[in-house]
Amino acid sequence: MTPDISVEIAGLSFKNPILTASGTCGYGEELADIFDLSQLGGIVTKTITMKPRDGHPSPRTAEASSGMLNAIGLANVGVDKFIEEKLTYLEKFDTRVVVNVAGTCTSDYVNLCARLNDHPRADMVELNFSCPNVDVGMEIATDAKLAEETVSKVKKVFSRPVIAKLSPNVTSIADIAVACENGGADAVSLINTLVGMAVDINTFRPRLTNNTGGLSGPAIKPVALACVFKVYKAVKIPIIGIGGISNYSDVIEFFLCGASAVQIGTTLFVEPDAPVKIVKELKKYLSKNKIESIRELTGKVRIYK
Amino acid sequence: MSKIVIENVSVVKKKKLTPDCFAITVAPFSKVKSIRPGQFVHLQIPNCNLFFRRAFSVYSVNTEEKSLEILFKVFGRGTAAMASLKKGNRLSLLGPLGSSFRKPKKNELIGLIAGGVGFPPIYYLSRFLIENGFDPKKLFFFYGGRGRSDLIELARLKKLGLNSVLVTEDGSLGIKGLVTSAVEKWFLENKGSKVVYSCGPEGMLKAVDQLAQQYNIPGQISLEAPMPCGVGICLGCIKPLKSGGYTRVCKEGPIFEIGEIIL
Ligand SMILES: Cc1cc2nc3c(=O)[nH]c(=O)nc-3n(C[C@H](O)[C@H](O)[C@H](O)COP(=O)(O)OP(=O)(O)OC[C@H]3O[C@@H](n4cnc5c(N)ncnc54)[C@H](O)[C@@H]3O)c2cc1C
Ligand SMILES: Cc1cc2nc3c(=O)[nH]c(=O)nc-3n(C[C@H](O)[C@H](O)[C@H](O)COP(=O)(O)O)c2cc1C
Ligand code: FES
Repeated sequence: MTPDISVEIAGLSFKNPILTASGTCGYGEELADIFDLSQLGGIVTKTITMKPRDGHPSPRTAEASSGMLNAIGLANVGVDKFIEEKLTYLEKFDTRVVVNVAGTCTSDYVNLCARLNDHPRADMVELNFSCPNVDVGMEIATDAKLAEETVSKVKKVFSRPVIAKLSPNVTSIADIAVACENGGADAVSLINTLVGMAVDINTFRPRLTNNTGGLSGPAIKPVALACVFKVYKAVKIPIIGIGGISNYSDVIEFFLCGASAVQIGTTLFVEPDAPVKIVKELKKYLSKNKIESIRELTGKVRIYK
Repeated sequence: MSKIVIENVSVVKKKKLTPDCFAITVAPFSKVKSIRPGQFVHLQIPNCNLFFRRAFSVYSVNTEEKSLEILFKVFGRGTAAMASLKKGNRLSLLGPLGSSFRKPKKNELIGLIAGGVGFPPIYYLSRFLIENGFDPKKLFFFYGGRGRSDLIELARLKKLGLNSVLVTEDGSLGIKGLVTSAVEKWFLENKGSKVVYSCGPEGMLKAVDQLAQQYNIPGQISLEAPMPCGVGICLGCIKPLKSGGYTRVCKEGPIFEIGEIIL
């Protein structure tokens, strides 16, 4: 018996639960030189804004223990060029395309998603309510009411599933998740990066021109798991787990804590072909443990009472 | 087929060139044949607990042995750990990465300008050009450093049979001064079309870039930046473009045209 690793989110099927995370796989072109993108469950494209953005000046990444800091500043080609070139490029791959968007206010999100609604290659949108590096979207990330309102307005203009991507830099991530669910979100994805900082002791300068940045990579996995665990108890909509995933066992952990799919980010920088390996190893794990479908594992952590 | 691959390679040779400079050869790498001068590889260095890979220019290749050689200087933790690698140690190699030097026109005099650890890609280019039929007499290799200990692999350079000009700031070897002064003298003394290729510390590259523009000489420079991914997906290795915006050193570069980048 070959185990079933396909998953379903908001009525859409994914051939496997492995997606690449926004901002860590560009628009797919570079990874396609390394492996066939059709091997992915899906690709989440770099956050798109209405206008193109250059992002922050260099240095905007720094190495950290078991991870990294970044303050890229949402560098992207803008929605026009994205639709014209990048979305067209992705036509040829048999994988789900999730388009991540961000804006400074609710109407930006609505306008972006209205544009994308006309382009069915965008299977889903993911609302980036969580980038810690720019003013963009951060208010919505921390304000449950604003998040709910934004989701519900986007739902009126975008006819396919809408995912809300959540920040861990809040008092209660579960409260924001519930607000997004109430607004009509079809799924939530979490977590985005944790606010962090590093300083050069010779120059007294922060290692990022933005002074602070977002921490990602294996270092944040325990935090991400706890967030997924809390949100799973609070909402009924599916959760896409993100944060420090680098191998198949990390994926299983996220499923057990409540995820229905996962995204791989920073690991791609060190092992760009990691998704391919993880898919293979997931199948092996399921076979070995006689688990018919990975879907059975969601939320099955045996908690201590 | 994938253009870029990740493979485990073994150290097949290691040489200590100076107290802090080493050359290591690794094999087997299936893409050796497609590597071009200027390109680099991204190595995951074992036993040092660093999160990112480290980038190194390809110094030479051997297509029969499927091996490639890199030359490096100890800077920090990663390169220190590389210095203690032993024959037989295995490491993960991602490559080949980045852009490569373009071929000069047949009638051009070729200025090859290297400073410090900028030597490997310029040496590889010189060797590649000679192996591809360019007359060594038309190649002028300017090699600069602070003192004689910075000018490594001189015997190997000599074997190429090209014109070499050694320059040290303290005068301990060759001409005393800055390598760009020697290049300027060459510009003035030689009529006819010329092209330059350069790699070295950013200060030197900036001077070469300005000088070449001043004399209207075309050419290319090889840049460095800390590189989280090396394949163009993190947007961390950027440099500002003269035409506006940023470019990725790992993807559009590391080889850029003279005058293209704000240094
Ligand atoms: C395309 C490319 C080709 C290269 N080719 C060679 C080569 O052929 N031989 C060689 O010896 N080195 C080469 N380098 C540089 C080499 O990658 C660095 O020396 C190495 O990453 C340092 O790692 P480390 O862990 O020893 O030092 P770290 O502890 O990471 O850093 C030590 C110091 O160097 C700085 N630094 C680190 N990496 C870079 C960088 N890439 N650019 C500028 N500053 C940096 C750090 O900020 C720090 O101050 C190349 C770099 C690039 C980008
Ligand atoms: C360099 C970099 C750029 C990122 N850019 C974005 C982005 O544009 N939009 C977004 O929603 N998340 C962005 N993220 C966050 C990731 O998608 C992911 O949520 C986070 O890094 C945690 O996952 P990881 O530990 O697997 O990287 C970025 C992360 C990194 C490291
Ligand atoms: S190193 Fe990641 S984009 Fe260049």
